[in-house]
Amino acid sequence: MQDQHDPALLTAATAALEATINQALTLAPGARKELAEMADTVIAIDCSTPAVAIFITITEQGKLEVSGYSEAKNKTLVRGSLEDFLALAIADDPAAMLINSDLEIIGQTAPLLTLQQIITRMDLDWEAPLVNVLGDVAGHQLAQWLRGVFSWSKDASQSLRRQLSEFILEEGRLSPPAAELDVFFDDIQSLGLRVDRLASQLQRLARNVDGRD
Amino acid sequence: MTDETRRAEDRQDTTHFGFTTVNRDDKVHLVRGVFDSVASRYDIMNDLMSVGIHRLWKRFTIELSAVRPGQTVLDIAGGTGDLSARFSTLVGAQGKVILADINASMLAVGRDKLLDAGAFGNLHMVQCDAQTLPFLDNSIDCITIAFGLRNVTDKQLALESMERVLKPGGRLLVLEFSKPTSALLQKVYDTYSFRILPMMGRLVANDEDSYRYLAESIRQHPDQETLLGMMEEASFVDCQYHNMTGGIVAVHRGIKA
Ligand SMILES: C[S@@+](CC[C@H](N)C(=O)[O-])C[C@H]1O[C@@H](n2cnc3c(N)ncnc32)[C@H](O)[C@@H]1O
Repeated sequence: MQDQHDPALLTAATAALEATINQALTLAPGARKELAEMADTVIAIDCSTPAVAIFITITEQGKLEVSGYSEAKNKTLVRGSLEDFLALAIADDPAAMLINSDLEIIGQTAPLLTLQQIITRMDLDWEAPLVNVLGDVAGHQLAQWLRGVFSWSKDASQSLRRQLSEFILEEGRLSPPAAELDVFFDDIQSLGLRVDRLASQLQRLARNVDGRD
Repeated sequence: MTDETRRAEDRQDTTHFGFTTVNRDDKVHLVRGVFDSVASRYDIMNDLMSVGIHRLWKRFTIELSAVRPGQTVLDIAGGTGDLSARFSTLVGAQGKVILADINASMLAVGRDKLLDAGAFGNLHMVQCDAQTLPFLDNSIDCITIAFGLRNVTDKQLALESMERVLKPGGRLLVLEFSKPTSALLQKVYDTYSFRILPMMGRLVANDEDSYRYLAESIRQHPDQETLLGMMEEASFVDCQYHNMTGGIVAVHRGIKA
């Protein structure tokens, strides 16, 4: 019973994506209104290579829920390789792109196109929402890490594509994922150090207080 | 430990409290003591101890629940209410969320937090024991127990009690520490749990013993396959689990037939 990817890792990605987009949406009432009109639409993005599926649900408030698991029935399903999805994500003319690409679509195309346009129009900031999702402890670090991995720019599309594939392939297959483990170790180590420092400071303080009595 | 020895042990007079063997009747009080003493610092310790990752584990568990508006959800050992808060918005005004815990201090922290978060009026709190759930048979759509089962004295009894109150087709989700899938990770994780955790417990919550108990109780908890077997034993069907973060944590799912 082995998942192809560590669900915690995929969840980190979906939670970050969701929080980041929704944060940007709070500042874009127009886009929110457009989205609200498509409430309850579920778009399933089924990536073949590497194999990951994510689900985007549009809420009544015109926000997005992004998850790695969904049992919703009427979904718009888009299937293809990572390359196809990246090309679509950064396309200037997504409609033409959709027709010409190898992406397979089952269900309605319109919500997909609207969503693509709204998301590419927005300026996404990873940090604040991540801190909300993960708390101060890990949010900041993860934001920085993601910023490196997902630097969302058209000029960087080549390297973005490479980084993303590497990210998903490497991180997804290994169990435990090497990079995640590294970050985790580093955190633990630095936490340990900080705790040690704190402990010695406390001891010093205690001595000082004792000394004064 | 095999299923049989574990079952036999579960029915005997003594049981584990962390690595210490104690009288079965005492365990409830000892566990209560632990959570009485950690309640006020519980949320911040969770973030610190897991570097925030517990939020992802919980989030994935909620995704797997596939809870819909109008449903009734029971969050057992719900403590300070992380899952309940999310379920409250998912089930909406027509639905119902019951936050159940054996410990009044944890429930009190949970209540304050949920009120602050402006949770819906669909939330109910019940102080009860997972082994003897005070709910009608076939009355609940979804049960979650997150990081709670390992504290329960007779886990099999608790699973059976959950099966009883679920509606046919309803689902149980158990989120719990489990067995890391790699030996390397296990080693690092041991160092972390037995050295760093109690130290953090001492410094942040001024309570080294409780956090030592938490680390020990994690090691005494049944591993992935054993828990899967126990769920099947309690008549759940379609049982499966997902390892997360290298098996440090697993979420098990079972359906009531
Ligand atoms: C580690 S906390 C988990 C809280 C919350 N579910 C979370 O994930 O943050 C464990 C909880 O289990 C509760 N608990 C322990 N034994 C129990 C029992 N027999 N029945 C119900 N709850 C119990 C404790 O009071 C405590 O609040």
